[in-house]
Parts: sequence; C-alpha cells; structure tokens
Amino acid sequence: MAESFRNGNPLVPQLGRIINIVEETPDIKTFYITTDQGKPFTPLPGQLAMLSLLNVGEAMFSITSQGPEHLEISIKKVGTLTEAFHEAEVGQTVGIRGPYGNGFPLEMFYGKDVLFIGGGIGLAPVRSLINYCIEHRDKFGHLWIIYGARSPADLCFKKDLFENWPKVENCRVDVTVDKGDDTWTGHEGFVPAFVEELKPTPQGRVAVTCGPPIMIKFVLQVLEKLGFKDDQIVTTLEMRMKCGIGKCGRCNLGSKYVCLDGPVFTLAQLKELPNEY
Amino acid sequence: MLKVKRDKLPQVLSVWSEEAVVYTPQEEDGVSTFRPWTGQAEVTFKPGSTVLPPKELFFPRTEEMYRYRVEGQAAFLEELSLPQQKCVLVGVRSCDARSLLLLDDVFLTKGYVDEFYRRRRENTLVVALACREALDTCFCTSLGVDPARAEGVDIQAWEKDDGYLLQATSERGKALLDKVGTLLTEVSEEPPAGARPSLEVDPEGVTEKLQRMFEHPFWDDLWHKCVGCAACTFLCPTCHCFDIQSENRGNEGFKFRCWDSCMFAEYTRMAGGHNPRPTRKERVRNRILHKLRYFPERYGKLGCVGCGRCLERCPVHMDITKIIQAIKEVALDG
Repeated sequence: MAESFRNGNPLVPQLGRIINIVEETPDIKTFYITTDQGKPFTPLPGQLAMLSLLNVGEAMFSITSQGPEHLEISIKKVGTLTEAFHEAEVGQTVGIRGPYGNGFPLEMFYGKDVLFIGGGIGLAPVRSLINYCIEHRDKFGHLWIIYGARSPADLCFKKDLFENWPKVENCRVDVTVDKGDDTWTGHEGFVPAFVEELKPTPQGRVAVTCGPPIMIKFVLQVLEKLGFKDDQIVTTLEMRMKCGIGKCGRCNLGSKYVCLDGPVFTLAQLKELPNEY
Repeated sequence: MLKVKRDKLPQVLSVWSEEAVVYTPQEEDGVSTFRPWTGQAEVTFKPGSTVLPPKELFFPRTEEMYRYRVEGQAAFLEELSLPQQKCVLVGVRSCDARSLLLLDDVFLTKGYVDEFYRRRRENTLVVALACREALDTCFCTSLGVDPARAEGVDIQAWEKDDGYLLQATSERGKALLDKVGTLLTEVSEEPPAGARPSLEVDPEGVTEKLQRMFEHPFWDDLWHKCVGCAACTFLCPTCHCFDIQSENRGNEGFKFRCWDSCMFAEYTRMAGGHNPRPTRKERVRNRILHKLRYFPERYGKLGCVGCGRCLERCPVHMDITKIIQAIKEVALDG
C-alpha cells in the first residue's frame, strides 16, 4: 500500500491543501484534502490520517471518504487544533501522514447484511465503510443505516442520509434526533432505544457501531438483547495519539496500540482487552 | 584475552575519538550520565549504573524532527538531516545493554522503523563494563541479566585493579579493538565473575498472573502514595513514551518530540476532555502492567532490566521488586 511519508520517515508529513470545505453541522466541517501529486494515499475504510496545521498542531482523524484525487476528513470543533481547522479556508496548506491503523475487516462483511449504527460525528469513520459497500454493492447483502444526533441541525452528512443512501438498492436509512424542532417530522429519541424499536435481526448480519461512548455502551446492550454475538459486532475506537506507528505509547489498550492494531475491533476482541477506553 | 592498562585507557579513548564521539559516565551537578569524553586523564567507572540511563544517546530527551515556515495559507517544510555522528559508548552496564535491546524491539519492529532512533543506534558502538560491585538497589540477575556479560554489545570489558580486560563481541567491536591494538596486551587472565546483587525477586509467572488481575482490588491501594512525579519513567532505561509538539517563533517553527510519561494525566486526555486513565490508580496500574504484562505480551520479554533506578529515586519509595512479590502473593479465585 502506498504510504504518505517523507523519505520513508513515518513521523514526517507530506504537505497537502484543503480544496473544499463542507459545513455539515454548526460544529462539524468536512475537509477535502489533496496534494500536488494527487490523493495523499489510498486508505482502506476505517483507516486514519495524522493531519496538521503546521504552526498549530497535529492530531489523528478518521478518514470519512475519498475520491480519486482527494481524502475527506470530518472534524468536530472540540479544542485548539480543531478550532483552527474550522477557521481555515480553501487553499490552506496542511500536513498529512498515513494511512494508519487496521481499517474494517472487510472479509468479515462479504456476503452479509450490514447494520450501521452511528451517533453524531461517530458516523464519520462508519461512512467510509458505507461508501465502500455501496461502491462494491454486489459483495454485500442488505445495508441498514441507523443514525442519530442531538438535534436536526446536528445531523452530519445530510445529503447522504436523505438523498444518496436511500436511493441505493436494498439499502434502508433510519434517522432519529434526541430532540426535534418545529420543522422535524422524523423520529425523536436516543439511538439505542431506536435500534431496539427497529429490531434488526442478527441472522446473517454484522453490526458496526460508532458514536459517543455512552451511546456505544447502550447500543451494545441492545444488540446483545437482539441476539447479536460478540463476533458479529464491530466498533472503532478513539484514543489520544501522537506517533501513529505504535511507538509513543499513549494509545495502548493492554498490549495493543489503537493506532496500529486498531482502531477497529470486534466486540469479542475488545472483551479480551482491558476495559480502559 | 586482551587487556588495557588503567593508565593507557585515555589513549584508547583518544584513538577512538578520532572518528567518533566517545561517551563515558560523568557527573554533572552530582548526577551521573553519559557525556562526551573530552580528553580527561582520569576515567573512572563508579559501581552500578549511571543515574540517567544511556537511552538518551539513541532517543534524546528532545529531538527536532522537522522545521516549517508559514506564510498566509502556504506552508513550507524543511526536513532535517538525520543524525550521522558516529559514537562509542563506553562503560555501559549489563542492565542498560539489555534495555537497548528492548528499545530496539519498540523502535525497530512491529511494522514501522523509527528512523531517528535507527540512525543513532546504527552509528553507535557499545562497550559494556561488567559489574564488580552491585548497589543495594540492583536486581538485574532476577531478570536474567548477567552482570559480567552484556547482551547485544560490541565489546565486553571487565575491570581489574590494574586495568581492563577486553573482548570483542561483534565484528564492529573487533575492528574497534584492532584500531588500538598497539595499546593492548595479550594476557592469560580470566574474566572475573560478576557481582551478584543481594536484592532478588522471582518474576516467574507474574505476566500470567497479571493477565487475570486488571480489575483486582490490588490496584485500589497501590497508587495512594504515588505523587505522579514520573521520576520512575524518566529514569527507566526501557521507558520509551514520547510526545510530539511544535515550537513556534513568529511564522516559523519546528516540530520536535520529547520524552513523555504515562504517569501524567495529560498523556491520555483527549480533545473534549475524556480521559481513559483519569486517576493515578489507572496510571500506576498502566506502568506496572506495561513493564510486566503488556511488554511481554507484545515483545516476548519483560520490560524491566533490574537496574533499580526507579526504586532508588522514587520520592515515596515505590519498589517494583516488592510490587512483583506482592502480585505473586495475591490470591485469585479459581
């Protein structure tokens, strides 16, 4: 796989630039990144990129999608670096290195129905897999996307949720918000309860979930109640990371490094690891 | 066996200095560490290891990675040439020699090679010195380290009253000895046995035991006296965690990495505030588990070399040998 490092040094980024910015929600923007040589690298669904504004800082982000010439990275405003990204404009030079991490275990999904459960910005990494499944539609069974956010304004990737994905053959999209507004006619309520209401069956199906820790916790309980086994459930974790190559130490979960051995784990794998995430 | 007389040692170092920076244990503000030898006539090796481990010769406390310049939206990046300097490290104890092999596992294996470390490691020859005397805090033999024969070094030396016995243990070490051949004499002396530390602990089975102890109440008490100063990780020859930060000066700056410690709260705190190891309980547990369980699981070896620095310097006398013993004495159900 082509990697994006300078002269084989995995800690030094190449320079890229922002070519498009999509405002997803009041605090989430998606940045399209390319380089003079084209796409920085070609990640697998679920892999990560170390992205930087050189004089501000560097952090690890999931890659939510890609085109032939660019990567898409969705960033929620939560701190110094992400605020600086939200102030950046098209044309801004960025540092980028990667891809890092294992990505989703695609062979586990081939021939299966796939259930995607996302909350808030947690849809970003899952979206890379949804798009992969759509691009390779014949390799997967039924696709079912259940997604929620705090409010209608906080729904991320609205074009995909309401236009693109519902049009895909044999694909279902269900959206909920914690609390609606005057214009909202859809479902109201938290994601775990919504999943329980919709009752997806576990036969021949694999579930992928990502969202706030509290949502994941309750989604896992619901999936278990619905009969999903630990090896039918996949999630993707986040941790503070610096190097991205399993050396700097901080993202360890037991003897695994989330940047290298993760971020994607099955629930069966997670249960073998210390509960410290 | 080759031998160099005590008064000839500076000449040997002088020859080696023609092509490399020679490092020897030296005291600076009362703290012993490896420093460049600059022709001092007196070269002494105090018993035990240096206060600061030799890891910083390979993995500096702070290390510039690249420079950058920002002009409006544009940015420019300038790579730094990787370290080329040849070095000879003289007087490394067996415990620290083992630690370099453990750092090799971290920085050179498992998918990625750390180029900064690799270049320094490849450019440095290591001359080990056997221990004639153990400190009260030494327990290297408990970790299978032989105080009289170091692993993975280029030359092994043994101190005698009148000089040093020398044996090349690698091709590069042999070439280094050949360079100073005229200063050495062939002797029929046998290398002395190493000093056996009086402090002992048997780590056998501790990894497997810890695999069943993550949620054990054992951790509820252990951390209380820890003040989170991180001296243990700073002084540990095998601790390898680092942070990456920028130093801005106007619109220019550089990216550097520097030692970091799992004993600090910021180490794992994420943007947005979530911290998977929020208190000293989780952080102390992580340090102990990293040395005794996670490192062996990942690299097949215990992450401790028995140098004793952490227990000698801990302000509240946390003692890893006592902790290992206590872990072994914990009763588990089933």
